[in-house]
Amino acid sequence: MSQTSIAEIRTLAGLLEELDYYQVLELVPDAPTSAIRAAYHRTSRRFHPDAHRDAPPELQQQVAQVAKRITEAYAVLRDPRRRQVYDRQLAGDRDRVRMPLAEAEAQADRQRRDQHEGRTPNGRRYFALAKADLNRGDRASAERNLKTALTFEPDNAVFRALLQELVARPSGAAARE
Amino acid sequence: MAAIGIDLGTSNSCVAVARRGRVDVLPNAYGEFICPSVVHFAADGSTQVGEPAKAHAIHEPENTIAAAKRLLGRYFFSEEVKKAKAVSSYQIVEGANHAVRIKVREQTLAIPEISAFVLREMKSVAEAQLGQPVTQAVITVPAYFNDNQRQATRDAGKIAGLEVLRLLNEPTAAALAYGFGRGLTQRVAVYDLGGGTFDVSILEIGSDIFEVLSTCGDTFLGGEDFDDRVIDLLADEFASRHKINLRQDRFALEKLKAAAEQAKRDLSIDDEATIRIPDVAQDAEGNALQLERGISRHEFSNLVADLIQRTFKVCDESLQQANLTVRDLDGVILVGGPTRLPLIREAVSQYFQCELKADVDPDQVVAMGAAIHAASLVGDEKDSCLLDVTPLSLRIGVAGGLAETVIDRNTPVPIEQTASFTTFRDFQQSVKIRVYQGESRVQEENELLGEFEFSGFKHARRGEVRIDVTFEIDTDGIVNVTARDPDSGQVASTRIHLSSGLSEAEIQAIVEKHQVTAAEPMAPAGPTAAEAIAALPRRVTSEAAAALPTPEPAAVLAPADAPSLEDDELFAEPPQAEDGIERASSVPDELELATAASDVGSPVGDPEAALGAGAEFDLDLGAGDDSEELELAPPAADAFRHDPGDDGRTRAIGGEIDLEALETGAPSGEMLASDDVDLEPLALDESDLDSLAALADDLPDLPDQASVEDDAMASTRPRQERDQAGASGDDLFGDPGADLSIDPGDAES
Repeated sequence: MSQTSIAEIRTLAGLLEELDYYQVLELVPDAPTSAIRAAYHRTSRRFHPDAHRDAPPELQQQVAQVAKRITEAYAVLRDPRRRQVYDRQLAGDRDRVRMPLAEAEAQADRQRRDQHEGRTPNGRRYFALAKADLNRGDRASAERNLKTALTFEPDNAVFRALLQELVARPSGAAARE
Repeated sequence: MAAIGIDLGTSNSCVAVARRGRVDVLPNAYGEFICPSVVHFAADGSTQVGEPAKAHAIHEPENTIAAAKRLLGRYFFSEEVKKAKAVSSYQIVEGANHAVRIKVREQTLAIPEISAFVLREMKSVAEAQLGQPVTQAVITVPAYFNDNQRQATRDAGKIAGLEVLRLLNEPTAAALAYGFGRGLTQRVAVYDLGGGTFDVSILEIGSDIFEVLSTCGDTFLGGEDFDDRVIDLLADEFASRHKINLRQDRFALEKLKAAAEQAKRDLSIDDEATIRIPDVAQDAEGNALQLERGISRHEFSNLVADLIQRTFKVCDESLQQANLTVRDLDGVILVGGPTRLPLIREAVSQYFQCELKADVDPDQVVAMGAAIHAASLVGDEKDSCLLDVTPLSLRIGVAGGLAETVIDRNTPVPIEQTASFTTFRDFQQSVKIRVYQGESRVQEENELLGEFEFSGFKHARRGEVRIDVTFEIDTDGIVNVTARDPDSGQVASTRIHLSSGLSEAEIQAIVEKHQVTAAEPMAPAGPTAAEAIAALPRRVTSEAAAALPTPEPAAVLAPADAPSLEDDELFAEPPQAEDGIERASSVPDELELATAASDVGSPVGDPEAALGAGAEFDLDLGAGDDSEELELAPPAADAFRHDPGDDGRTRAIGGEIDLEALETGAPSGEMLASDDVDLEPLALDESDLDSLAALADDLPDLPDQASVEDDAMASTRPRQERDQAGASGDDLFGDPGADLSIDPGDAES
């Protein structure tokens, strides 16, 4: 299958620890989600261990290293939540090009939880109060509590969305979180 | 030379070859494309496989082995084995280290040996058809097979004299056969209901690429469960009418099985089937009783409705994992004999609300896919790129009896992940690393793949040692684990199989046995695998034990590169060890005695592993300063620590507690850091000795062996009990930080 040259494999294997996941998949950092699978397929065709079964052992080992890194890059970038976490790590430290899957997952979970429950004690508290208000049907109080929660966490998209919904549909059914 | 594809099924197997752009399923001499996965052992030592073997099931059920795949790679104590014992007419016995063995005509056979008979049959069918020797094959496995089951399948291939080019997941093989060379761009589900397993995979098929988006399964669900429902119905009715329980008569049971399977097949074609078993039993006066009953599709569908619903639960899960709904699919490929049943086809088409791909033969498509891939791997066919996933989450055991995920299920393979850990106690000398597969946070609810101890890292305070554990899953779905100490560069590379795993030496012995068999029919008194191996030079652990002086530190200190033999000797050292435990427990702070206990303790704590078939151990007790360590050993709970290292990923691994410590409650919460753990496939040469030791358990008739066994049992039992009770060593730590430490493998002294 592969037209991949030996030199290319060697070079890539040697550089592996310096390449970020976008570079491994030959993607630009702002590549759309749809491009990620295509890139995974494209690079896998060239570096899949099956395509180099007849290569000498040392080269096979290098191909395997590259293939495993391709898979890893795909496993992180294909999931928008993990990708976001990874992007932030990369922005913070250009040299940290890898991210363990379990860590990406854990951070993505934490982020989701932060957004959905609040990150700060006061944010959490007023958001919970707002939800309780809504359950009782007290929309005015819910709006006040949400605004308070947002003073503690101005960047919480979930809080903001709920507030907007309340304001936009004053008489609608109680919004869900 | 052609490479073949083999679908090694629970009920039936099939072989195919791809040549010059076409795929052929190969028939046997009778023109049959499907071979029952049944092996019959005759009184003269000969064996038969396939239809002729199946014919023996009725009159010689105890010598006719069917559905061995259900036992492949299982622990003896597993639910599946219990279930198989209840329904099987042949004798299922326990081998060393919870392995499953089958006893037939005075031979004790490992499950891969049974499967190898079927594979060898497939190989010879192919050789007869192709007119040339065949040595290479792709063998398919249920996608949901765990690592133990995959290893066992590989072993079966080796025993059958095949180079296993690849273990291919059955649904992936089916998708390959369906899409190969057709230039499709589709998203399909493969609904694979076999004789004993159910898998569903969702794939994206491109021109030359087959990407598995998700796979889920149930290895406890298959066509045979459908048969069982019919058997239950017939047996219950018969019991209420004649007050005779047919299930207790194994001849009658085999007749019921055959009749139930036939009825199921008939119902694939007709609306109504008739079951007729003349002379199924005798009444009290000795009159022959017969069983005759009609069964309609409707009645059958009521019997199995819940089984079919179970498959859809698995489908739900698979879609959810792929982040898709049924509307995103272009079609469904049906695989496996039971999918011929109209009621299943209707239910599946209703569930997926899309086209059933009719142009595949559900019995042959898997073998065809395997053949295509085999040809592409040896360069005979155009390549297609198969991108598969791991069906089960890979986990590492941590403190508190928990298992932390390292690689999620449905992560694409091949993949490698490294996690860093640190020591849990000051001057800790080893860590025990346990690797699991499964979806539970609780260790015992997952499948244990292996455990090994890593030691030899620097002597330092807790948290100062870093151990990198690398987990790799290869394209066969097989797991390798390596531990490394980045400071010393030392690497521990070990794979331990506690269950059905056969060592290279065992496999070799079995292969040789069969070569002998091929030359001349095996006499009934012929050597069993265990005997064959016992004839080889072997380590005499009992002598080693006797020679071992009363435990004192010097006796057990081994240099880092000590041969495993020395380490192993320690394992057969129970009397003193237990004595030591006793005394240590009563006087836990008495330095000398406590030291003795922990010195022997660590090895004694791992006898299952050490004696396990294929066990490979590299145990280094290092030179510890006993008094210092005992003084410094912190109380268990305090010993736990979470240490965010330089990369924020370094965590404390709770060391595994040694046996003595466990029993005495001594402050042994040693934490071990594991750096590089490497679970290697079964090809380890050094495993010979361990495997021999393991086989010793099969040979109670040899006097010296018996003593070894006794010793081994004595030292093993407490650990087993502990494991079975679900109380692993970590519990002593009082679960201080749950997810953050691996159970401490204590080697401390």
